[in-house]
Amino acid sequence: MSPRRTDTGGRIDRLKTIRFTFDGVAYTGHAGDTLASALLAKGVTLFGRSFKYHRPRGLLTAGVEEPNALVTVLKGEVREPNIPATMVEIHDGLVAISQNRFPSLAWDVNAVNQLGGKILSAGFYYKTFMGPVIGPLKGTRFWMFCEHFIRRAAGLGSAGSAKDPARYERMNAFCDVLVVGSGPAGLMAAKAAADQGARVMLADLEPRFGGSTNWSGETIDGAPAAEWARRTVTQLQGRDNVRLLPRTTVWGYYDNNTLAALERVSDHKEQPAKGEPRHRYWAIRARSVVLATGAFERPLVFPGNDRPGVMLAHAAERYVNEFGVLSGERIALFTNNDSAYRAAVALKKAGAAIVAIADVRSELSAEMRKLATEAEAEVLAGHAVVATEGGKAVSGIKVQRFDMLTGALTGDERSIHADCLLMSGGWSPTIHLASQAGAKAEWNAARQAFLPPKPTQQWPTQQWIGAGAFTGSFSTAEAIAEGRAAGLAAAGGTSTPAALPTVEALPGDPDPAPVFEIRAKGKSFVDFQHDVTAEDVRLAHREGFVSVEHLKRYTTLGMATDQGKSSNVPGLAIMAEALSKPIPEVGTTRFRPPFAPVSIGSLAAERFGDLKPERLTPMHDWHLANGATMYSAGLWYRPMIYGLSGETIEQAYVREAKATRESAGIVDVSTLGKIAVQGPDAATFLDRVYTNMFSTLAVGKARYGLMLREDGFAFDDGTTWRLGEQDFLMTTTTANAGKVMQHLEYFLDVIWPELKVHVTSVTDEWAGAAIGGPKARQILAACVTDTAVDNATLPFMGIVRGEIAGVPVMICRLSFSGEMAFEVYSGAGHGTHVWEALIETGKPFGLVTYGLEALGTMRIEKGHVTGAEIDGRTTARDLHLDWMLSKKKPFIGSAMMDREGLIASDRLELVGLIALDNRPLNGGAHIVEALDEANPHGSIGHITACCYSPALGKHIALALVEGGKARHGTRAHVSDPLRNRFGPVEIVSNHFYDPEGTRMHG
Amino acid sequence: MLITCPYCGPRDVIEFTYQGDGNRERPDPASQNFEAWNAYVYDRLNPAGDHNEIWQHSGGCRAHLRVVRNTLTHEISSVAFVRGDHGSAARRKAEDKP
Amino acid sequence: MVERQSPLEPEFHVGSHGNFEHGVEILLTETRPGSIVQLAAWPGEEKKLIAAIRTVTGLSLPDGAGGGLSDGVKSVFGFAPGKFTVADEDEGLAAAFAKAVTPAIGTVTDLSHGRTAIRIAGPKAEWVLAKFFAIDFALTAFPIGAGRSTTHHDVFAQIQRTGADQFDIYVFRSFARSFWKALCHASEEVGYEVQ
Repeated sequence: MSPRRTDTGGRIDRLKTIRFTFDGVAYTGHAGDTLASALLAKGVTLFGRSFKYHRPRGLLTAGVEEPNALVTVLKGEVREPNIPATMVEIHDGLVAISQNRFPSLAWDVNAVNQLGGKILSAGFYYKTFMGPVIGPLKGTRFWMFCEHFIRRAAGLGSAGSAKDPARYERMNAFCDVLVVGSGPAGLMAAKAAADQGARVMLADLEPRFGGSTNWSGETIDGAPAAEWARRTVTQLQGRDNVRLLPRTTVWGYYDNNTLAALERVSDHKEQPAKGEPRHRYWAIRARSVVLATGAFERPLVFPGNDRPGVMLAHAAERYVNEFGVLSGERIALFTNNDSAYRAAVALKKAGAAIVAIADVRSELSAEMRKLATEAEAEVLAGHAVVATEGGKAVSGIKVQRFDMLTGALTGDERSIHADCLLMSGGWSPTIHLASQAGAKAEWNAARQAFLPPKPTQQWPTQQWIGAGAFTGSFSTAEAIAEGRAAGLAAAGGTSTPAALPTVEALPGDPDPAPVFEIRAKGKSFVDFQHDVTAEDVRLAHREGFVSVEHLKRYTTLGMATDQGKSSNVPGLAIMAEALSKPIPEVGTTRFRPPFAPVSIGSLAAERFGDLKPERLTPMHDWHLANGATMYSAGLWYRPMIYGLSGETIEQAYVREAKATRESAGIVDVSTLGKIAVQGPDAATFLDRVYTNMFSTLAVGKARYGLMLREDGFAFDDGTTWRLGEQDFLMTTTTANAGKVMQHLEYFLDVIWPELKVHVTSVTDEWAGAAIGGPKARQILAACVTDTAVDNATLPFMGIVRGEIAGVPVMICRLSFSGEMAFEVYSGAGHGTHVWEALIETGKPFGLVTYGLEALGTMRIEKGHVTGAEIDGRTTARDLHLDWMLSKKKPFIGSAMMDREGLIASDRLELVGLIALDNRPLNGGAHIVEALDEANPHGSIGHITACCYSPALGKHIALALVEGGKARHGTRAHVSDPLRNRFGPVEIVSNHFYDPEGTRMHG
Repeated sequence: MLITCPYCGPRDVIEFTYQGDGNRERPDPASQNFEAWNAYVYDRLNPAGDHNEIWQHSGGCRAHLRVVRNTLTHEISSVAFVRGDHGSAARRKAEDKP
Repeated sequence: MVERQSPLEPEFHVGSHGNFEHGVEILLTETRPGSIVQLAAWPGEEKKLIAAIRTVTGLSLPDGAGGGLSDGVKSVFGFAPGKFTVADEDEGLAAAFAKAVTPAIGTVTDLSHGRTAIRIAGPKAEWVLAKFFAIDFALTAFPIGAGRSTTHHDVFAQIQRTGADQFDIYVFRSFARSFWKALCHASEEVGYEVQ
């Protein structure tokens, strides 16, 4: 016989039929079913193949801790692997497949691995891929060849490569009280806090609130517990100070009560609603946190404990009471504690035969004997299960007399026919979040479990209040009392309202017998998901792994996707026994986020694809409409070239640069960092910030300035314009705008608070167009009104205000291209208007638009430095900017710039290079004195920027080379083995073109 | 981690930029005392426990803050503007306090 | 007068969008103030600056960090110690303040072109904004009139609550289109209308 759906009962909607497929086979289930419950109801017991040995595996649990029944869910082209079937809500059209099997789940060729169990033991990878191999197989290559196959055989589901079209979102939330877990404790806590008027959030990873009330069969205030929970949830739903988050796993607990949660918003739907995300990542800042996360039931470790049909006792109870599914017809139980007896009663009521209850304890309470009688079960006190029988499903078990104190098995084995074995090894509170929050778990000998620490031992920045099974209080009555107390305390309330709800529950001692393993012949699994057996743990111990952290890594116990939720404590107990130490002395590993797997999409959220922030200049749309190829520079988008049809990038920039030098060119420079420096002490401040003087600058003039860092290295350069006595406009390089701003703010706030200076980013206030070339002044003269632009009115570095096409502009005569050039600034909202007017006026003069490539070309020809040369390792002297280092005043960096290493003669200095073989050079290529292609060495420097120079008709570069100036006129070689580019170069001055500056001074 | 900015209130650490050890003292600008400059530019305390730090609320009001933070627990025991008092117009109401 | 170009233009689609079958829960628009200025007082001169704001705009700033108010035409709020943003439907604020704010009091910086003002209104405004900013938008924590400075990734924003369900967000102009697109995207699930 096999599992089946019961005729009545459960919290599923039997009137709603849902159709889905698993491994290509069509199934039906009901609304409210998980994939696990729906398949189990159809008699499916085989859900997956184990990680290493490919053993057949079925459902162990009914919840998030499921280690065995991992499936891949397919949505169109997108596949999501390794989801527990217990966490998949079925919907029409759901397509799920099993994993780690070939060719099929029922018949898997790799199951042969089971025979090689001795080889695939603990530390398999460490041992296998290290030792030397004799003869032709020597070396690591052979192992790498083998590894490919081994890794393919071992493992979980495979990830997809299709682009995920789903929407993911991030959400920030603030609340007074966050309650994690919605069982009786959580519901009471949420209600108590909400009654105090606190802003409450209640999160539960299940779709149904209520936790154990959904399956405990208990009665609260005279009604079925589930009914009480439903009523409480309805009350909470009606309040505007409460936010309920079902299907939401709180997975991370960080400093200052910041918690991370994943809401599975639409996974359970056939199609998300329009605009609805698949997952939502909640970043929750809570004043107080109530942890009511319950407890996980532990498996017992004995031979054959992983056979499909062996399940945790509460899971079977849950399947029958919550989903209306009987996990077997002839059910046996194996337990070390009282909680399994309630499951026996529940299953008996639902129609199963309880064939036996094997209890490791020889003395049983009268109450348990009474429950066993109610379940019409034979009680085998002082017995243990020593084997399970069957192939892909349990057909029977073997029991033997067991001495709890010695672990000895005596007497004859007795076979019992059963199609399902339920086990209960006690309960472990779900302390993961508390552990993440820094608290050290404490071993409780009575409960045989790690309990969360007392509040006094919590970390100061993460403080929570625990309630219910999380604290080791396993009864519903305790959960309700603790829940309300926690909710009140979290909300800062003190009132003592009406009496607590009354609970009717079956009796039971919360303390299990200290038995974790039955040592008998055969594979006894501790970590089901990573296929770690009790023998593996002992082997690790024999091989010298005594620390629990080492044990974990060596055996990989608890390191699978379930993070050892069911295996952690049994693993420790076996290790402790091997070490002959009590469990608390062995210690436990610290839990780390995430509590359960988190979709990467939810973490990337809106930072992905089209929604990535980007910065656009005022003329962006014009550039796109006029053939620009855009280039992303940091967050900015800038024209790289304005290519004509059929042009290559090089042809385009060469044409643009040439036309600029012959007639005129215009480039969008709006991205330059612009900072308003205002106030009575502005000039004093700039004198301290720049290496050169600014207090002497006349109003209406601009000056090129250089900044150093405190350590004396070059930091940034740019021109600063004096617009008024107390009003400067500083420009910075595009890339450094933010850094320079912070630098200025730091000095004003921290170092010189007495200075009356304000700095404000005005980068976005201004659109900037730089127009340069022999015809640039004529073009300006033809369109600027309200001012002249002749040499007298607008000398080099002069500033005038005027109008272009009815819009006020500010024009500064300065040059980056080396031509007679002007920067025209207008309000950003007028940027395109002015730009178009300049281009229209420039047409008869042969004006071209040029992009970053031509800009870079012309600056290399002039030997100007940018971020490629001011790279944080160069000094003003290295860049031949020492003429800017004022001797009349101290400035930032002046005290440190003359240190020994910074003035050494062997430093790399800026030079120019000309390729003597007339071939393109590469950025990053090394410079050597003597070429040795086979054995590249002896670098004397490297190329920082390179281009084809239309002005020189040569391939040129800027480089930082040892000795610098002293090498002018000498030969060297580029050595670029990565790109296989070798060849002779001549080292020259960095000023390739018009070194006297006659063109720009006009 | 949250830092309670005296102006903006408690904000996530991603809104802040660490601006270094708050114990440093910048020598007189004209000083040629190399030891002092070296200490200022390179030497850091790195205590295990309470540490004086400078943070800028770069993603908010942009003020620089003197923060005393425990490097072991991340507990922040005090936060104040580095640059003086800005009067009542820069003071948060009591009920905004966390 | 040459009209200012909006940075949102190609992405500004008037009409209803997203999941609006069950009603529109978000209104999005660009308020396009004629002038936006930043005022900053020297330490100790804040009261005089606040008086100057009252002289020029007629608005009396409430005391305290982030205090502000709006009369529907002019808006003002504090966003940093001693610093305030003022917006006006009309142009010319910077010139008016240049007279009222003397160098002894502080500085005036014209940002009329440099900041873009986006208004989000409707019953789901707090919900949508919470997707972007890690600040508490609840009315009790963020009262009407008040201002906040915060950041969504690299997008720096000043936000003023100008109604129970209405916020004006000032972002750098270069980021405005990108932010607007993200705001529309985030509003889809609740249905939004661009006006």
